[in-house]
Amino acid sequence: MIWLETIANGIFLGGLYALIGLGLGFAFGVMRVVNVAQGDFIVAAAFIGLFLYPWTPVHPILVIIPVAVVAFLIGMALQWLLVNRVLGHDQIPQILLTFGLAIVLRNGMVAGFGANSQSIDVGEMRFWGFDFLGLRLGVLPALVLVIAIVLFAALHLWLHRSRLGRLIRATADDYQIVQLQGVNYRKVYAVAMGLAMALSAVAGVLLAMRGSFTPYSGSDRLLIAFEVVVIGGLGSFWGMFLGGMVLGVTQLIALKLDPTSGLMYGHIVFFIILILSPNGLAGAFRNAVFRK
Amino acid sequence: MSLLSVENLEVSYGDFQAVRGASLELEAGQTIAIIGANGAGKSTLLNAIVGLNSQKRGTVRFDGQDITHLRTDRIARAGITMVPEGRRLFGTLTVEDNLMVGLAAERPGPWTIEAIYQLFPRLGELRSMVAGSLSGGQQQMVSIGRALMTNPRVLLCDEISLGLAPKVIGDIYRCFDAITASGVSVVLIEQNVVQACAASGYVYCMLEGRISLEGRPQDLTRAEITAAYFGTEVRT
Ligand SMILES: Nc1ncnc2c1ncn2[C@@H]1O[C@H](COP(=O)(O)OP(=O)(O)OP(=O)(O)O)[C@@H](O)[C@H]1O
Ligand SMILES: [Mg+2]
Repeated sequence: MIWLETIANGIFLGGLYALIGLGLGFAFGVMRVVNVAQGDFIVAAAFIGLFLYPWTPVHPILVIIPVAVVAFLIGMALQWLLVNRVLGHDQIPQILLTFGLAIVLRNGMVAGFGANSQSIDVGEMRFWGFDFLGLRLGVLPALVLVIAIVLFAALHLWLHRSRLGRLIRATADDYQIVQLQGVNYRKVYAVAMGLAMALSAVAGVLLAMRGSFTPYSGSDRLLIAFEVVVIGGLGSFWGMFLGGMVLGVTQLIALKLDPTSGLMYGHIVFFIILILSPNGLAGAFRNAVFRK
Repeated sequence: MSLLSVENLEVSYGDFQAVRGASLELEAGQTIAIIGANGAGKSTLLNAIVGLNSQKRGTVRFDGQDITHLRTDRIARAGITMVPEGRRLFGTLTVEDNLMVGLAAERPGPWTIEAIYQLFPRLGELRSMVAGSLSGGQQQMVSIGRALMTNPRVLLCDEISLGLAPKVIGDIYRCFDAITASGVSVVLIEQNVVQACAASGYVYCMLEGRISLEGRPQDLTRAEITAAYFGTEVRT
């Protein structure tokens, strides 16, 4: 029973990890940009959440909405003012740019807020639990998973049903040719980066509600995001979701067996998957299903 | 005054000059063709007209306006678009989604989804198929349809017959009567001289980045075209 509970909690945590990966994976899928600053933006979003939640009506968890809006605007501005200037066949300028941003952001947060560990207080909800098939589970972790699923599904539907979603998919396929259809791909990129940032920001705030963070948490977050995206098989939507699950479940089982292991076993599983199937789980699945 | 005029266009890739001073004119309602061997600079010339290649000198005028340095999406919104070499569909989108992308140009006109399905009835049946899974000929129809959805005044077509069976090429070229009848002026790039001469009212031949010959198809002799195409001397 205790193991089932651990697995269920791993799945809850995995939903959050998947959400951390989604922002990075979406930006990469559309623009082929690896945003190294994503982890530190996630932490910055947590600080924004920390600042805004006392003013949030109804329930503190709703702070994810204003934070997402702010992050969307920051993402648009980031793409429009900075990343769009260094686009090209060469990936190096983009990586250098976002790497520089990450350093500035991290040190700015240390200078502004100190290095202490912080957390966003959701009040009573933190202690609520519910019984499910004989398992005792936490309301907050379950709610976080539900939010992650809703966001994955909403993004998927929006990309496939809306006019702008169609333009984003077309731009991801061929950014040169969409221009012949009258599309300014730089605008599309700005919207995509805004969305990526908004998704990451929600993940950052939820992480800060479930646990704690410091201005230095960014590199851990970025590593999780990378692993989720790579396990999922670059750019595969639901593959990323699965990737988050794998990391979450592995981590919690490992913590039960070895309470000091932290994220180590998650990294080891990532490493093994990478060696066995360089295209991630989605690639392994494709190979298994479509093998001649 | 012509609808589209290119004066002394020079286009380079780094140090290599691929187009070395080419000029051409397209009148409203006209269809012209550019022929030439592999590497003559035909695609480079068309790409430069729509702004996909920025390293250029010379002038491109559309409807009296200088559009030489306009951005590609603005040029498309102004009414010039291109069917690119190799079709370049949005491979993960459905046929219908590919066509609908053309609505982004926000140019109302006779070419709607229904009109495209009337022109290419096969596409209507394939509307929810993923474009990347279609045959070459079907993909070419989608590529042409997608360009038409912007309701262009000028349609540039880069080797639409490339890699297609003769029957399919015939089917596609037959549709150009309806396209020109709707008021679209067309520039065709072709390696197939016979096809180019049959489909157009004026032909330019390119050789090593220059226009080596031009004229109405009926005024040009086979020997002249061969010489201009391959760069050999005309024997008289
Ligand atoms: N991206 C590029 N970078 C460098 N050189 C290029 C590039 N694209 C084309 N070229 C060169 O420019 C010249 C003209 O190429 P272009 O593609 O315009 O020829 P083309 O007439 O369209 O030929 P084809 O019939 O094979 O399509 C060629 O010598 C080609 O090698
Ligand atoms: Mg070409």
